[in-house]
Amino acid sequence: MTKQLTQERSKFVDFLLEYLVLFVIVGLVIVTAIVEPAFLSQRNFTNLMRQFGALSFVALGMTFIIMGGFIDLSVPGMISIIAMVTLSLVDIIGEIPAMMIGLLLGTMLGTLNGSLLVNVGANTQAKALFITFGMSQIYRALALILTGGFSMNWGTLFAHPMPVTRALGSGMWGPLSISFWLFIFFLVVLYIFQSKTFLGRAITYTGGNLTAAELGGIPTKRIVIFIYALGGFMVAVGSIVLFSRVSVTVPAIGDFFERDAIMAVVIGGTSLLGGKGSVIRTFMGVALVILMSNCMNLLGVQTHVQEVVRGIILVLAIWLDHRRHARG
Amino acid sequence: MNLNVQALGAQALNILNKQKAVVAIAIIFIVMIFPDTNFYTAGNFSNLLEAVSTNAIIAFGVTLAVICKGCDLSVGSVMVMAGIIAIMLLNSGMNMALAIILAILSGSVVGFINGFLIVHQKSEAFIITLGMGMLVQGIALLLSNARHVSASDPNFQRIANDNWFGIPNIAAFMIVFGVLVFLLLRFTSFGRNLYALGGDYEVAEHSGINVLRTKWLAFVLTGTFAAVAGVLAASRFNTGIPIAGVDIPLMVNCGVVIGGTSFAGGVGGVPQSFIGIFVIFLLRNAMSMIGIHPNVQMLVLGIMIVAIISLDCFAIKRKKEAV
Amino acid sequence: MNNNDVILSVQNVNKSFPGVRALSDASITVRKGTVHAVVGENGAGKSTLMKILSGVYTKDSGTVVFDGETIEHTTPIQSIRRGLSIIYQEFNLVNTLTVGENIFLGRYSEMKGMRNMHKQARTLLDSIGSTIDTYRLVSDLSAAEKQMVEISKALSFNSKLIIMDEPSSSLTADELTQLFTLINDLRSKGVTIIYISHKLDEIFELCDIVTIVRDGQVIDTKPIDHLTRGEMIAKMIGREIENEFPSRPLVTYNKVVMEVKTINTRKLKDISFELKKGEILGFVGLVGAGRTEIVRAIYGADKAGELKILMNGSPVKIRKPRDGKHAGIGLLPEDRKLEGLVLPFSVQSNIVMSSLENISKFGFINSSKEKEIAERQIKSLSIKTPSPHARVKTLSGGNQQKCIMGRWLEINPDILILDEPTRGIDVGTKYEIYLLIKTLVENGSSVIMISSELPEVLAMSNRVLTICEGRISGEFNPEVDSAHDIMDAAIG
Repeated sequence: MTKQLTQERSKFVDFLLEYLVLFVIVGLVIVTAIVEPAFLSQRNFTNLMRQFGALSFVALGMTFIIMGGFIDLSVPGMISIIAMVTLSLVDIIGEIPAMMIGLLLGTMLGTLNGSLLVNVGANTQAKALFITFGMSQIYRALALILTGGFSMNWGTLFAHPMPVTRALGSGMWGPLSISFWLFIFFLVVLYIFQSKTFLGRAITYTGGNLTAAELGGIPTKRIVIFIYALGGFMVAVGSIVLFSRVSVTVPAIGDFFERDAIMAVVIGGTSLLGGKGSVIRTFMGVALVILMSNCMNLLGVQTHVQEVVRGIILVLAIWLDHRRHARG
Repeated sequence: MNLNVQALGAQALNILNKQKAVVAIAIIFIVMIFPDTNFYTAGNFSNLLEAVSTNAIIAFGVTLAVICKGCDLSVGSVMVMAGIIAIMLLNSGMNMALAIILAILSGSVVGFINGFLIVHQKSEAFIITLGMGMLVQGIALLLSNARHVSASDPNFQRIANDNWFGIPNIAAFMIVFGVLVFLLLRFTSFGRNLYALGGDYEVAEHSGINVLRTKWLAFVLTGTFAAVAGVLAASRFNTGIPIAGVDIPLMVNCGVVIGGTSFAGGVGGVPQSFIGIFVIFLLRNAMSMIGIHPNVQMLVLGIMIVAIISLDCFAIKRKKEAV
Repeated sequence: MNNNDVILSVQNVNKSFPGVRALSDASITVRKGTVHAVVGENGAGKSTLMKILSGVYTKDSGTVVFDGETIEHTTPIQSIRRGLSIIYQEFNLVNTLTVGENIFLGRYSEMKGMRNMHKQARTLLDSIGSTIDTYRLVSDLSAAEKQMVEISKALSFNSKLIIMDEPSSSLTADELTQLFTLINDLRSKGVTIIYISHKLDEIFELCDIVTIVRDGQVIDTKPIDHLTRGEMIAKMIGREIENEFPSRPLVTYNKVVMEVKTINTRKLKDISFELKKGEILGFVGLVGAGRTEIVRAIYGADKAGELKILMNGSPVKIRKPRDGKHAGIGLLPEDRKLEGLVLPFSVQSNIVMSSLENISKFGFINSSKEKEIAERQIKSLSIKTPSPHARVKTLSGGNQQKCIMGRWLEINPDILILDEPTRGIDVGTKYEIYLLIKTLVENGSSVIMISSELPEVLAMSNRVLTICEGRISGEFNPEVDSAHDIMDAAIG
């Protein structure tokens, strides 16, 4: 009898832990709406939507890297170099081709990261962390060398009109912003990819148990390269969305994006231990991060207190992840 | 004969592989003879030493974490936080010694929490310390209101900037702490046990070593040393800069590995870590002297980090495959 | 028997692991100043018993009396301090530390400084006639030298009883002679030795008393001169084979499906053999003899220096497991949990892992087929699981193993390699797995089976290769040749 009860309770705790982020979001919305009715206004909604910027794209890509049992700290350098290269090319080859080159560059840099890790035998998250950190330094340095370290303001500087960038930055389509539509597009595509395709599933096997996946005939090395390539592509998308929003790009434009993306992914509930996760969870994670700062802003919480709160939440999320794993 | 040459070559390569950093230092010193720079001047070496000092002190702490197969990525934030705490307590009128002690203890507290989460709760060291780093960064921003803070008491600056028989104080501190950690690792059972559990956790546990406490203490000390470095850095520049510590943790962890303290655990020590950190700063210094653009310097450093960590991974991989 | 004469007395000790009874009512009495051999096949329960004595495992019931003291609960360090040391086959040393530090591991505070520690280590090593420099790193030592360090370590605790687990497994003939001299020396000083080994020659040369263990039970304890080699082997393997196994399937094809020309690695020397269609080929050998390494090289899981394999007469290149899979080979790995299963995943995910690619069109998985596969395998293998979506880690060992079997049966490989397919599995499920193997070969696949349980290999295989120290040391027909001869060739 008691045993059954403990089992029931344990199931309840599991359920709670599983969907914690959802409960927190709902709770946050309710509490903020009561304390500060402006939260529910149309304006705040538009504002919230706008926040789903570059970070959400980077986080979507990072989800697969973490799900495969790895991590990528090269994001800041990549954002920087992609933004720089793309903008430098606009006046030469036109807007759309420049963006294509940017996307290609992101994919290539990601592939480079992945191939390097696979070939030197960096098969753990910790090793990947240090190597991708070094790669970030390299990319950023290259960006600085290529551009001489100047900031670029496409809003005023360029002779070439940039309708696509402008639309991406501030355009609306129906009730939602164009960049948010783009986000929804990628969310849906990647969700289908993750749940319906062989490659998507192979990523989870690789993250769940690299050795078993390898022995089961899954091409784990290619999978690792692929997740980094996909991550690189999404970073490129994020980079383009980022400079379209801020209109000025500086070499430090990508700083902290790796940190925030990892945070969003982990808070969403994708396990850092690999194998378990979903882009939907990352969507919730990003939503929570954005909602949190929005709520705290509305409630008049000081920005630096917000930093501390975010830090605490991140540490809690990591700790919970490990606890969940220990529970089985 | 031919075989002999080959064997000699293999041996040379082996030594080269083990003493990468020393070889790199030697090469830099030799290369720097040729261009006409201020490299070989007392002033430059004194500068170099001062620049190395705070990072080396952090590295001594990180060495403890890496020996027991961990790492600590929160050290940059801890350093910044401790500097800010020291200055703010001082400005609030507190006795200087007490302010400094409290600032250093703040680092120990962070280390204690890191240790709890890693050793007791079995969280992955690098990721939980990355998270703790963010948290501490937030605290530093909160305390300083994201502004540079400076100590009003001029004596505070003197801690790091005075000279002691021609040696910059800060370098003297580095030497003292270096010797301290060296002795700790070499001649105490804590130090010996740390090597044992880093080399083989289970064997150490079965040999009756209190693995939990030893590893936990290692992380406390890592945090403490980062805080010490933070106070010294704050004194040196007389400012606490809330976002200064961003690249430091990864740089220092990389430096420790460059020196030969491997992620595989159980090996390394103070001299190795010092050499690892020294080579990074020496390279930077030499490049500046020749007039290499800072951007290119960054590129070279990035390549060096990737190359050396990759070599470490590759060596572990080869060792596994050979069995 | 005089009670003062007994150093260790184990009475009716039981130990179970989920799904297996590792020890049942085991009783051993060891007398002071003897060299007491414990023999038995792999998995007979020797290691479990030793680990209970050393405190790594806790016994379920029974009594252990060591040196007049009843021991209920112990930890490894407590039993060492009490005077009971155990030297494992894989050694309990920290590779990154020096010899001296390893001898006094965890006792630095008792040592009055590093120099004194090395001095004491020197004295200990000298006392056993070893000249190893105490400042050398353990990682640089040979197996024999590591053994000397372990023995010194045991002596530093004034051990009254030293258990040696397969001490001779990686020693040369000279080193073995030295070890024997040392053991005889220790015996004359009143130290008791429990000597665990497969190598019967050594036991006859060295030991006073022998205890034979089989299936978790103590079969017999006798003075060594009351036993012949033949009797000992008979007691080690002697169990009724008849009802435990299904009737042996017959090889009806005469086609060679795989021809291994050469495998050379650091450990394996000139491995070559053939495998016929529909045949079950058994590999017999001691743990560490190279059985697993051979199949891993064939499947592409390990890198081999030289690897020449013909499949159906044409050469294939196998560099990674995926190549092995595409060549029509499947591998059920030795360590189910670390190498076979993705533990946090569902039964279904684990079953479909290898066939997922085949049921995908343009990269998209046909999820109804996926479900079909899982249900089919669960049904045909009668995997006991509440649902296909239950986590595989909640299943019993046997059912977990069936999930991996199902994974391979689904893609129907020409050759299925089974590395210890029944380890840690209860008797009933074992029988089901035997039946599965039988069905598999009757449908035209071939099987390579590695097992540490000799009766199992003998009853199931059409042909047996014995592996000894990285070489194939013999080929046998289990229907004709005696288990005795096969064991003999495997022991070497």
